[in-house]
Amino acid sequence: MEDFKFLFKVVLVGNAGVGKTCLVRRFTQGLFPPGQGATIGVDFMIKTVEVDNEKVKLQIWDTAGQERFRSITQSYYRSAHALILVYDISCQPTFDCLPDWLREIEEYASSKVLRILVGNKIDREDREIPTFVGEDFAARHNMYFLETSAKEAENVEKLFMKIAEDLMQQARNKDLSRYECSTTNITARTSSVNDSSCCSKLT
Amino acid sequence: MEYDLPSDFDIIVVGTGMVESIVSAAASRIGKRVLHIDSNSYYGGLWASFNLDSISKIPEGNRSQPVVENKENEIVYPVGNDVFDLRIHSQKWHIPESNPEKDVDESDSAVAQEEHEWTQEKLLKISRKFNIDLAPKLHFAKGDFVELLISSNIARYSEFRSVSRILTWLNGSLEIVPCSRSDVFSSNRVSVIEKRMLMKLLTSCVDGDENEFKGYEGKTFQSYLKDRKLTENLIHYVLYAIAMCTDDTLCLEGVEKTKRFLGSLGRFGKTPFLYSMYGSGEITQAFCRLSAVFGGIYALNQSLNGFIYDNDNTFKGIICGKQRINATHLVMSLEKLPKEIVDFSTTEYISRAIFITDKSILEDEREHLTLLLFPPVDRKAACVVLELGSLTGTCPKGLHIVHVFTKQTVNPEDDLKHCVEKLFCKREGESNSSPSILWSFYFSAPNTFSQKLECEKLLNTYVCPGPDLDLDYDPAIERAKEIFERIYSNAEFLPRAPDPEEIIIEGEDNNNIINETEERAEVPADQGDVSSELAHEDDT
Repeated sequence: MEDFKFLFKVVLVGNAGVGKTCLVRRFTQGLFPPGQGATIGVDFMIKTVEVDNEKVKLQIWDTAGQERFRSITQSYYRSAHALILVYDISCQPTFDCLPDWLREIEEYASSKVLRILVGNKIDREDREIPTFVGEDFAARHNMYFLETSAKEAENVEKLFMKIAEDLMQQARNKDLSRYECSTTNITARTSSVNDSSCCSKLT
Repeated sequence: MEYDLPSDFDIIVVGTGMVESIVSAAASRIGKRVLHIDSNSYYGGLWASFNLDSISKIPEGNRSQPVVENKENEIVYPVGNDVFDLRIHSQKWHIPESNPEKDVDESDSAVAQEEHEWTQEKLLKISRKFNIDLAPKLHFAKGDFVELLISSNIARYSEFRSVSRILTWLNGSLEIVPCSRSDVFSSNRVSVIEKRMLMKLLTSCVDGDENEFKGYEGKTFQSYLKDRKLTENLIHYVLYAIAMCTDDTLCLEGVEKTKRFLGSLGRFGKTPFLYSMYGSGEITQAFCRLSAVFGGIYALNQSLNGFIYDNDNTFKGIICGKQRINATHLVMSLEKLPKEIVDFSTTEYISRAIFITDKSILEDEREHLTLLLFPPVDRKAACVVLELGSLTGTCPKGLHIVHVFTKQTVNPEDDLKHCVEKLFCKREGESNSSPSILWSFYFSAPNTFSQKLECEKLLNTYVCPGPDLDLDYDPAIERAKEIFERIYSNAEFLPRAPDPEEIIIEGEDNNNIINETEERAEVPADQGDVSSELAHEDDT
């Protein structure tokens, strides 16, 4: 068996160019990728963190560019435990699109998914959305809120650790909605959450 | 924010149905620049799944029909034809719109649920809990589809649930088909002698040498089963349920079909079948996701105004809004084919019905995912019935979605009537043990697989058929592979995509492009890993 006890699926959404991929790369690899090249062949990134002496594996999914023309597959949202909605604090339109994203999330994600609003690029001088506006939006939609800079590595670690801790807490309370025991993952690779006795049966 | 699409591609795929999506994934996977668009705002086309609210609004086809434009050296064909549209027969509610007294205390929904007093209003309120397939599919656990998902590593995008029982209609009631060894031996419908006969027959179908079927070349499977002195019940189980044949099916075909069924037993559950969580519409999306991960560009809700050809009828590009986009190859779903080009019409249709019901056709302590193979009777073709519960993620708790379909002879309602009448309450409000239909939807879908769909008039253009009657996706995969191989004759079809752990990302200097994926994917140790995981098969 692999040496982690919990595996959580975290998905990122938000307009193109807000820094979703950079947040993931900063967290999983500790680097800030320059340029705008598309990430070919990368489905999701994995990082194992430790919460209360337990190993927690975070499987972090990126949009594969499908957000550019508003064509994210519904299946992308399925079985996500946490969902990070990202906007760029220096770009008003990316904030204005948040209600559209929330509508899509309501439609396709589990109602129990942990939702986090992230204002990225706080290293930029040309801020257009004040912190309190983001905070206010998050509060109204019952989301956790954080401002980050993938470039300066600010709050990125904190963001994902917070997610890991919250999901652990939920898992401990047996509150997780997804990954009922009897669904079949036909590769067993991406199997599931909770204790190993309960998942990816290949019988 | 509005973006312009890039204007040059290797291949443009129009429509996100199953065949198109597989071709798109395969082309992206080998590094081709793919544009994949759909005029709908959802994935899947005729293969999609809908929530309750949106399925009641699906159009039968509402395209404009502009005329063919001739420009200098180029011809622009308009998009789409009405030959391959769905035809809605009827869509009806069988419950009241709302319940005024109950609606006063809306907060008390738990109580209302308990009483099962469903109203249209209540169902529409939880509309998003429904995922209703236009073309429901099951997957043979060792069929081409499952093997392709595993070999290409696309399986990680979907979850599956196994069909928990297979039923047939025998002597006026529903019977569980004993299909695994343990079923056969625990069944009390089958005598001890029958058990032995059945096991022996199934074994000889799977392992039988040529001599076993000698002399049956022109004869029916039924006659073979009769000659093997099987009892009538056993013949029924084997012929109609396990082999899914008719009385006229030839022996060797029946044996093949029996093998297909038995070969998939014991891998993932009690029956040979899997069903995709959240509906069959998820499957096309899995292929689209893979295509996007490998660089395919996706645009739903894309207005498509024309296909551009040169005077030799070679494909040049498409017109999207005001934008011209060039590509070498065009792959499209049948219903997008220019009207001027379609010189054949659909002769074959599938009669389909979808119901929302208030309980299972055969109640049990636990929720089942049921496949009922309703045998042919009185010259009516056999019907496939698939009953899905809330555990499949396609309907709310306490309800079921039932799909019924068959080859069309008259119209959906008449073709399925004999089967539907036996399974469900005849009249609204009538109380007996059969489930009531809360909502019904009858429609005809063109079955285009048997047609020759070579697009001889238009070069570099490939046409993808819509859903067919096969239980699984085998014909769709075959067609997609055929198209892919005609375009890229020497390329590998959907080689295994690497797992994230195997990907090494270049550092600062390389624009995020990932090297290494190809080589890694080929490492035999990884392959072995996957297959060893799959080797834990239950010997039922």
